[in-house]
Formats: sequence, C-alpha cells, structure tokens
Amino acid sequence: MAALTIRRRAGASGAGPARRATAAGFRFGLPLRGAVLALSALYFLVPLLASGRFALEGARGTWTLSAVRALAHDGALWSSLLLSVEIALGAAAITLALLSPTSVWVNLRLPRLRRVLEGLTLVPLVVPVVVVVLGLYGAFPPAFVTSPALLALEYVVLAMPYSYRVIDGAVQSLDLHTLTDAGRTLGGGWVQTFFRVLLPQLRTSLMSAAFITIAYCLGEFAMASLLGFTTFPVQLFQIGTEQIDEATAVSVFALLLVFLLLATLSLLGGKRRVARGSIVAGGDGTAAEPPRPARAGRS
Amino acid sequence: MTGTIVEQATTLFDQDAAGARRGVRVELVDCVRYFGSVAALDHLSLAIEPGELVALLGPSGCGKTTALRALAGLEQLDGGMVRIRDVDVTRVPTHRRELGMVFQAYSLFPSMTAIDNVGFGLRLRKVRAAARRRRAGELLELVGLSAQAGRFPHELSGGQQQRVALARALAVEPRVLLLDEPLSALDAKVRAQLRDEIRRIQLEVGITTLFVTHDQEEALSIADRLGVMAHGRLEQIGTPDEVYARPGNAFVASFVGSVSSLPGTAVPGGMVEVLGRRIGLRPEQDVFLPGSAVHVLLRPESFAVRADPLGRGIVLRRSFLGPVMRLAVALPGEVEVEVSLEAARAGEIGAGSAVSVEPLGPPLFVTGRDDA
Repeated sequence: MAALTIRRRAGASGAGPARRATAAGFRFGLPLRGAVLALSALYFLVPLLASGRFALEGARGTWTLSAVRALAHDGALWSSLLLSVEIALGAAAITLALLSPTSVWVNLRLPRLRRVLEGLTLVPLVVPVVVVVLGLYGAFPPAFVTSPALLALEYVVLAMPYSYRVIDGAVQSLDLHTLTDAGRTLGGGWVQTFFRVLLPQLRTSLMSAAFITIAYCLGEFAMASLLGFTTFPVQLFQIGTEQIDEATAVSVFALLLVFLLLATLSLLGGKRRVARGSIVAGGDGTAAEPPRPARAGRS
Repeated sequence: MTGTIVEQATTLFDQDAAGARRGVRVELVDCVRYFGSVAALDHLSLAIEPGELVALLGPSGCGKTTALRALAGLEQLDGGMVRIRDVDVTRVPTHRRELGMVFQAYSLFPSMTAIDNVGFGLRLRKVRAAARRRRAGELLELVGLSAQAGRFPHELSGGQQQRVALARALAVEPRVLLLDEPLSALDAKVRAQLRDEIRRIQLEVGITTLFVTHDQEEALSIADRLGVMAHGRLEQIGTPDEVYARPGNAFVASFVGSVSSLPGTAVPGGMVEVLGRRIGLRPEQDVFLPGSAVHVLLRPESFAVRADPLGRGIVLRRSFLGPVMRLAVALPGEVEVEVSLEAARAGEIGAGSAVSVEPLGPPLFVTGRDDA
C-alpha cells in the first residue's frame, strides 16, 4: 500500500508539468498551426484566384467566358492535350512495369545495389535537358528521335528521381522476404508471388508513382520543345505568346485538374491507411503487433 | 463442421488405403551451405521418418533455420542433397515441393482476409471458388478461428495470426510441414497453448514436420525426436529424454537444460571423485585412467542439498520455479553450482545460508580437463 501511495504521489507530481505543457500546447499550438495553414493556403490560392480573375475579366471590370469558349474550340490545344495524355499514360505504364519489379528484386536479391540504384536514379536531376537531347540525337536515328514513344521513355527517366523513391520506399516498408517466401511455399512462382502477393501491398505507392509521372509529363516543356513535339505545355506557351488570357485560363484548368487528381489519390490512400491502422486485442488476449519490416535473423 | 479434432483431421486429410498416416520420409544428405566463408551447414545429414515431428534446437547462428530453408528450397545448397519420399528435389523450385511453412514473422498477406489467406494456395492451384472457401472454412475451424474468417490480419492477435498461418500451410495438403520458430513472437501463455495445438493437429494429420526453435522447453515438449545443432552440424539427435539424460557431448549437455561443471578426478572402479565424494560412472563414461583430471557435468537435480550450519556451500541466490527452488551455491575453490530442491523443503534456505551439497551419480557427462 505504501508503494502504491508513493507511486500515486509520484504520478501526480509528474503529471502536473506534462498537463501544463499540453495545455500550453493547445493554447499556442492550435492558433500557430492555423496561421501557418492560412498563410500556405494564401500562398497557393492568391495566384490561382488572380489567374482565374485575369482569364475571366472582360473590358471595364465586366466578366466574360470568351477565353474559355475560345479554348473549347481550339483544336490544336485539344490535340496537344491528347498527345500529352498519351505520352503520360505510356510513361506511367513503363515506370510501373520497369521500377516495381526492379525495386523488389534489388531489395530482395541485391540489397548492396540499393545505394547504387538510388544514386543512378538521381542522375536526371543533375544532367541538363539540352545535354540529354543532344545525346539522343547522337545515339538514335532521327526517325526514332521524333517518335512520341521516345519522349515517353525520356519522361520515365526524368521522373525517376521521384517515382523510384515512392515505389522503393513502399517496397522497403514490406517484410519482403517473409511475404515472398510465404507466397513461394504456398505454390506461387516468382511471377505469381509478385503479382498476387506483393503488388496488392504496393497499390497506393504505385498509384502515387504513376500520378507523379503523369503530372511530370503534363508539365514538362523543355524536352518536348527541343525535340519538336507540340505537347500541352508547348501549345500553352504558344497560346500565351498570342492570347495571354486564353493561356491563363488553360493554366487554371490544368492546375484544377492536377489538384483533383491529387485529392482523389490522397482520399484513396487515407482510406486504406485508416482501414489498416487499428490494432486490436484478440480472443487469446494478445495484441496484434504491426508487421516487422526487418527480416528476422537466420540461424 | 462438427466433431473432435481427430474426426476433423481425418476428414480433411487423405490417408492411404491402410489408414496409415500420409507423412513422407524426408532427408537432408550431407548438406553444405556457405555464407561467405562461414559454413552455415557443414555436411549436415538428417532423416525424418513419415509422420514424425523433429525439432531442431540450437543457439543463434547454428544453421537450424538454414537447414529448414534448404529443405524448403528457399536456400540453395553448395553441396549435398534434399530428398522427399526418396526423390531428389535439390533442384526442384520451392513452389513445386508441396510444402507448408509457418514463419517466425507474421506472414499473412495484409490485403487478404483470414479465409482468403487460407485459400490462397488453393487459388494458385486453380481450385474453384466454392470448393476453396469450403476447405478454407474447414481449416479455420480446425484451428478454432471460424468466427474470424472475415477479418484482416491487422484485426487478429499474434496467436490468431499464427493459427491462420498454420491453417494456410495445411490447406494445400503439403507433404511436409515446416515450422520456423512460429511461436517466438507470442507471449508465454499463448505460446504454450498454440504449441500443444500444433502438436495435436500434427499428430492427427500425420504430416512429417520439421520444427525449428531456440526454445528448449518447446523442443523437448513437442518433438518425437530432437536434433541439437552447433556450427552447422548436428551434434546429436534422439528422443527428448535421450538427449536430456544422455547427451552425446559436453555442448549438448550444457545447451539442453542446466548443468554445473565441477572439477573431479577419475578413480579406480569406474568412479570419479568430485566434491570429496565418489560417484559411479556409466560404462560408456568409464574411459579415463585413474588419477586423470576431469570435468564432471551434473544437472541441478543431481545434487543432494540441505541446510547445514557447518556446510561448506553458501547460497548466493535462489529462484522460485514453481514446484522446485533453484539455488546458486558457492563452494570452496571458486566453484559455483546450480542445485534444485523441492520448493516446500527450501523454506529456511535463503541467500547467505550455509548448505551442504553432495553430488549424486552417475554424472550427466564427463570430459577430460585437457578437452575442455
């Protein structure tokens, strides 16, 4: 009883500062967070709203949809958008097909190469696009250089610093060895284990990687312009040189489109996290532990 | 599905015409596996008879998991052979070996429910959905988790996850069941329950099983035969009581159970003198010339201990182990021994008490002091 009393007293005295700190956290933390959030929102929203206003503002303070209407009838714009979407989807598909098995294999079988691969995927960040284009002209016949397929492949490489990290991070968070061993002992070959066991666990990160690649492709200007493709950003630039209000309307439209995609992805990812996040006590009284990412030592 | 575990298992798993168990003979023959310059398996040979449960026990890094993974095909051998039902499967990939395996780490597929996890192997074998669900349901009932069929792994406790993993491994009617420390992540009570459950199901199904563990109690209680490994080699294999009572060498003697090592001297007549008393040796232990200096290994229960104000032993500490009390006793000559006595008789003996300690023969193992 004495021990219990002492413990209670210690607990009471120890709880005081902690409670005060929590109260202070509420008093200052919440408004501070709100202020930071508001400033961030203003930073992004003001230019967006200003662009929207510029695109929709007519003469003498009136409002008009003429720029939007002009866009709807701009065939060149829509064909450029279609080309960009085709290239983006192609690049996303190649990214997933190339990087997810690579990351799984490197983490599973060649862990020493992980650092090397991480370094390699950063190379596109430091090599200027002009150098890449010159290299392409030197390495491939002109007919191939002007093919959209090559542009898609180039975008796979250029988006790799971002897309690879998303996929590799998710792969590293899995207990890869145990899952693959389990899949194989249950009768799955490598391919079946990859598609039926691992890919479902990587779904969210694969979607993120695809989205990053698509977003990159839809916004990339320099490479497409230098290789002579009239993609969406190139067409946008051309419109901007003639009709700045139309170009601004397109920009706002493109931003909203990207925002919607991102929000959808966040919602899907959030739902998955909530579904997996809870830890419950089981019928035998033990609490389930989260999966251990590191492999248990082999004896 | 109703009925006892026996009835359920008999229904779930085929037996041959004579009703014999369907287990198969499994052999590791002269297996060698190197990791760099370290031999994880050093010419290991092990045969498991049909329907037998063999436990491999050993310290970390002794190669027991590597042996199990070699049997599963998850580890390629640098030499030797794996035979299942007298067929060489050394080059057969894992997914064609018809094995079931339960892992140390929770290995259920997180995106699948319990019943889908159990049915996964059947799905790979293209079993129709209805038949798959029926059999997965039966297996879940066998492990007592019918009510949790629709739960995802994160909604199950550790013990439940391992039960589902066992059901998943058994669902494909494997020829061999491999258990890689499946209980090590569980708390003591659940571990004991699940251990008994694994054994009961294994006996009823009659499946040949290799169980790897570093837990002596687990290995001694569950196995038909127990193999003790060290440095990639099998030091001894035998029934649990054989290994415990008649270890083949000093390592096995000291690794399985507790022992105290005491200096002694071989004396004529097949005896050794230790702590001033003469104790008899078993015939196979009587290999030392009289006068030879030896180490005598004795179990805690191989001592007679009693409170004695004139005794030369001083109790250093005591540990309560339920029915027995374990005492660490310091003896002259900087010798420390572990002895046990009935807890009911240990009442007056505490730390600092003087006790007399007498060895009872025959010793567990005797080794020459030069060999130590």
